[in-house]
This record gives sequence, structure tokens and C-alpha cells, in this order.
Amino acid sequence: MKIGIVLPATPGYSETFFTNKIKGLQEHGYTVVLFVNSDKHTISLPVKIIKAPNLSGNSGKVLLRSLLCLLKSFLFHFSATMRLFRLNANDKISFAKNIKIIIASSHIFSKKLDWLHFGFGTMAIDKENVAAAIQAKMAVSFRGFDHYVYPEKNKNCYQLLFSKKIQYHVLSEGMKADLIKKGIIETHIEKITPAIDMNLFEANLNTEKTTSLKIVSIARLHWIKGLDYTLEALALVKQKGIQFHYTIIGEGQEKERLQFLVHQLGLRNEVTFAGKLNPEEVKNVLQTAEIYLQYSHQEGFCNAVLEAQAMGKICIVSDADGLQENVIDTVTGFVVPKRNPLYLASKIMEVNRLSAIEKTVISVAAMERVKTFFNIENQKVAFIKFYEKN
Amino acid sequence: MYPKKIAVYSGSIPSTTFIERMIEGLASNGYKVSLFGLQLKKKNYSKNVKVYSYSNQLSKLYILLKYTLLLSLFKASDKKKLDVIIANKKNNATLHKIKYYPVLYHKPDVFHLQWAKSLEDWIWLQEFGVKIILSLRGTHITISPIANATLASKYKQLFPKVDAFHSVSNSVSNEAKQYGANPAKTKVIYSGLNPEKMPFMINTSENKSLKILSIGRSHWVKGYSYALEACALLKKDNFDFQYTIIGADKEEELLFQRAQLDLESQVYFEKSIPFETIINKIHQADILLLSSVEEGIANVVLEAMALGTIVISTNCGGMDEVITDGQNGFLVPIRNPKAMADKIKNVASLSENEKKDIKTTARKTIENQHDFDSKIHEMSALYNSVLEN
Repeated sequence: MKIGIVLPATPGYSETFFTNKIKGLQEHGYTVVLFVNSDKHTISLPVKIIKAPNLSGNSGKVLLRSLLCLLKSFLFHFSATMRLFRLNANDKISFAKNIKIIIASSHIFSKKLDWLHFGFGTMAIDKENVAAAIQAKMAVSFRGFDHYVYPEKNKNCYQLLFSKKIQYHVLSEGMKADLIKKGIIETHIEKITPAIDMNLFEANLNTEKTTSLKIVSIARLHWIKGLDYTLEALALVKQKGIQFHYTIIGEGQEKERLQFLVHQLGLRNEVTFAGKLNPEEVKNVLQTAEIYLQYSHQEGFCNAVLEAQAMGKICIVSDADGLQENVIDTVTGFVVPKRNPLYLASKIMEVNRLSAIEKTVISVAAMERVKTFFNIENQKVAFIKFYEKN
Repeated sequence: MYPKKIAVYSGSIPSTTFIERMIEGLASNGYKVSLFGLQLKKKNYSKNVKVYSYSNQLSKLYILLKYTLLLSLFKASDKKKLDVIIANKKNNATLHKIKYYPVLYHKPDVFHLQWAKSLEDWIWLQEFGVKIILSLRGTHITISPIANATLASKYKQLFPKVDAFHSVSNSVSNEAKQYGANPAKTKVIYSGLNPEKMPFMINTSENKSLKILSIGRSHWVKGYSYALEACALLKKDNFDFQYTIIGADKEEELLFQRAQLDLESQVYFEKSIPFETIINKIHQADILLLSSVEEGIANVVLEAMALGTIVISTNCGGMDEVITDGQNGFLVPIRNPKAMADKIKNVASLSENEKKDIKTTARKTIENQHDFDSKIHEMSALYNSVLEN
């Protein structure tokens, strides 16, 4: 079977979801082709990568490139191009936009595929008819931002997509329920949660009481991760006289905002911005931690929380979307209401008061659950089933 | 006696409303004002203002050729000296020539730099006898150097060289002290408003639901996310209100937060609008809310106070230099949605007379402390002080 996956960019080292998926499909004998806008990350897998035409920058160059793409599409892939044009016209897409869509999709025409799978909902916008044009089945994954945030700014952006009879992959029951509400038939939606390679994450139960509580988050420095609310909570923890050190692993555009907040909250000695670390360094930091925090406003599912649980860390997460399914409150960690620093602070202090045995019980339950339900092998099987049964 | 030439440099032309007002104020007080930099859009200035700007590639080329020729012909030794300075800079020499040559040729007496971050770019002017005055404004002083250690050490190295500082508030000048801004060379000159252009109007028409307004660019420093949290608390208490933010439309974070807090029927985001329309919007609002985590002194607060709209502001930066809580407006602690929501409810419950008193006192504060003409005279005195030395 030949599967084409459409992504914004080649998956980076932290985007294990896609690399794992591709690996699993290849192991099963499938051929995978990646269609990307940017190939900035080098990918270690033997996979064919096809870049989308670059339609930004100098307008003269863009015009030339566009004309070339259009010419190539009509000369070498006439029937697919015409099919796309007709399908788009049937959907009342204007002539000019139709031509733009043909140009932007021209790199996909060259491959004969069984499935065309859009890795994010946003990638399928304006490409709703491309799979049908190349006579492939179509699948779309919703992963979080594309499902919860993008439509806030772009109302009705999925209206056309949702009118198509295609297959959807989502990360959580919550996302599945949302799609059903939008009128998607349940049997067309498959929940496949992210998964991790258990061999890479050794358990390290840190139940000894140390003088300073070690807390870690792995998160892009982006507003969606709720790090400002996390820091507000930690300021309250400090006020209660509890000594701690908080390390944030990750880079991002909100660095200045968060650094200033740390300064305003008087947490300069308690907070470290570790920046982007390689997987080995991440593991080292996690190993010494007692509590892992993920207080996001929105989260599709969150691999980092799975990894922290696999390493036996006590996770305190917000109740944002997929996180509620990632952690079972009071059994495998703690789930607290989002956007509520006061509540988060009291939960951190509560966890700090737990006995070593109580902590171990939670850690073990989390590790067992991750091992059983979020194992990479399960995920590989689930994806093969996804393509074979539909 | 007035100095011949003052260059007011912000990097772009036109600049922010308040800098533009200062430029016109100086020009109408007899100063010859020169503006250099990138022309963002066309603007007609009065005859005392001369613009030496560039916009597209062609105009940059023209500027480069024109001033290379003029400097070579009439100021060859200065050009040679500047070329050595440019050669020692790491980045693009041609771009530096386009920026620097016109300034060297027209050589102002005072180069009044509006933003601290570009001080490193212009300190060379002192070698040609030009006095440098630096305005200490907002985030360049209060935030950027805190998050950026390299910038902080640049400031520490360069601030002691500056001839004089203009600070927008006492709080900013206090902050700048740690980077070596000499208090003896620093003059706090508040923003000035022209009271005639700011009609005071007491809005007694009862809005059905309380109208709260914020105005300002979409930036985290404005603390809008705290304002939205406050709105969520108001809604929870069934308080009837409408909150509008002008200048923050299409901001993903706020759109998402509004949806997540279920505030779509109470909170509206609008794009920036011209100043004349803003006056109208402020007049119509019951409360002007400033939710910032840091400010020099927010100009929009001064405008609202002049126009007769009650201000609730976070107690950040220099805001307490304008507002005395409960007298001419209200102050709440920063990053505290609960306090913000409570204060909004308090203000809503004031009697018409109490509101009128606050509005009238606010107007007087602006007339006494922020009168445009006296601010221009203070600026003029600052220019004279460096030229006399």
C-alpha cells in the first residue's frame, strides 16, 4: 500500500508521533511519501520527500514558478488536474482560487497513492478535493491546535472539509465527540492516541524527600502552554515557604514575557529556562525531577506527559482537552482545572506532602498504564488497521 | 536663543502619535526639526520640519548616491572618519551608509533618540560634536534589558556617555539608573496634551450594560489576558457589561481565551482606528481599563482622563504618578483579575456625583501636569542645557 502524508515540514526530533508512525507503516511493508512545505529538519528514515512549490517571496519569481507548476500539471497529469478543477468548481470555488489550489497541490499529482493523509486539519484546507483528484482515499488527522485554536480565528474553515466523506484520525475521545457534534459519522473517526517507545524511558522513582522540590515542564514557550499561570502558581507556593526549583525545557516566542514575569514574581532564583535540549539531556533533567507540570490551556494529548509518566514522575496537568485522558486524576497523577493558579498551587503543595508510599503507588500506576495503553507497538498496529479497514 | 537644528529620531516616519505631536510642537516653537529614517507613509509637516527619508530600494540608492557625493564634495574628512566607524561595524556597511550619511551631512545640534535600543547605532555622532539626548520610554527600559543580558550590559556601557536623558516618568528614570543613566542628567517630562483638542464631556447617558474599553497594540505587556480573566469573574457574578479592546483584533491568544472563557457575547476585539474616532469611543465608554503589566505612563490613560472617562489602571510603572486611587481614577494591583473585577463593580456602583467628582479631578490633573505647551518648554530647556554645556 502507498501512503502519502501531507505535513507542514519534515518532522523534527521531538515530533516522535510522525516518525513512529512512518516507521511502523514501513515495517509493515507500506511505502510512505512525505509532502512537505519545508524540509528544514533532516529525517533519518528512508522516506521519499516531495516539497510543495514555494509560493512566497519575490512576486516575479512566484509568478514564474506558478506558471511552471501549472504547465507541468496540465502536461503530465492532465486527468488529475482536470478532475481537481471540476471538483473544485462543483464546490463553487472561484476560478482564480481554483487555479491557485491546482498550483499549490501540483507536487502531489506526481504520485500514485492509495491514501492521501493530511497530518493536520489545517493542511487539508483548500486541498479538500486533491485526494479524489488523484483517486486516492483521504484521511485527516486532528492534533490539537488545528482543532481547538485555528478555527477561532478562521471561522468555518473546515466547512468544506466536513462535507466530504473521508476518514478522520483524532488523539482523544474529546476530539472525537467534537467531530461528531459537527456532523461527522462516528464510524469515520478513529481515535489513536500518541504513544512512546517504552525502551527509551527508564523508570526512576524519586521518592526521597529533598530540601528543594524539583519541578519540570517541557513546553514550547508559547501562550498555549499556560506557563504564565504556572509561574503565578509557583509564586504562591514560594509565598508558603516551600523551597523548590522549576526548570522549563523549551524555546519559543514568549521568552521575554515569561522572563519578565519571573522577574516580577521574584522567582529568578527558583526558575531556570533550560532552552531546547537534546533527548538525552531532557531525560537527565527529568530523572532528577519529582513533579512534572503541564498546565496548558489546550493540549491535543501531549507526549511529554506520557514520557514523564513512563519515567515515574508525578504529573500534575490541567484539564485541557486530551490531558484529561492522558492522566487519570488521583490514580496516575493529578488533573486540575485550567487557568486557576490558586488551585494549581494548592495541588503542588498537596503532592509535596504525600508520603513516599503514596507517591510510589501513583508512579507505578502511571507507568503501568502508559506501558499498557500508550505503547508504540499498539500505535503501529492501530494505524495499519486504520488504513486496512477503510 | 533656540538651537538651529534638532533631529528627532525614532527610526520610522511618521512615528507614534505622541512623538509626532512633540515634533509639531517643537516646530511651532521655532525649532528646525529634522527627521531621518524609513518613511512608512507620506505625511505633510509644517515648514520647520525637514524630512530626509528613504522607503524603497530605489530611494535608498538615491540617498546613498546623493549623500556620498555631497559628503565627498563638502565634508570629505568627516566622511572619511565616519567610513572608518562604519567599517568597524559587523553588519551591512551599505545600509549603515544609507542611515548615517544624511545625518552626518545635515549634522543637527541635538540628536534626540526616541528608543534606547538604537543608542549603539548612533553614539558615534558625539565624535562629530552632536549632542545625544535619549528618551527613556516604556519597554526598552523596563522589560527588554531584564530579559536580555547582552542589552543590559550594552546599556551599562553606553548610558554614561549620553549627554542628557528625557524620561517619560519617574518610575522609568529610576529603572534606568541601574544602567548608568545619571539622575542629574535626567529630566522627567511627562507627555503633553492639548486640552483644546480633548473636549471634556461627562457622559451621563446610562449605558444599558457597563461599557468597558481598552485601547492599545496587541502585546503581552498590555495584560489583556488578565482583563479577560476579570471579565470571566464578572460574568460569573452575572454582572452586566461589555468589554471592547481596540487594537487587538485577530490575536489568536485572545480569541482562544475569549472562546474558552465563554465570553463571546461580552468581549469584542476591534482593529486600530484613527485618533478622531478614538476620542468618540472614549467618550462613549463608562470605564477606560488599563490592564498592563508594565508602562511608562500610558498615553491612552491621559487622554481618557482629559476626555472625562473614568480610568481603572493597574498600578504599574509610572501610573501612580498620574492616578491617585479613588481621587482622579482607580488603581489595582498588576496581574490580579479578582482585584480588577472588584474595582469595576465598585466603580459601577458609584453615584453620578461621585463619578463627576472623579472625572473633574482627572481633567484638572491633566491640565496641570500634562499641559502640552509647558511640556514643549521643558523639552526646550533640556535641549538648551546640553547645548550650553
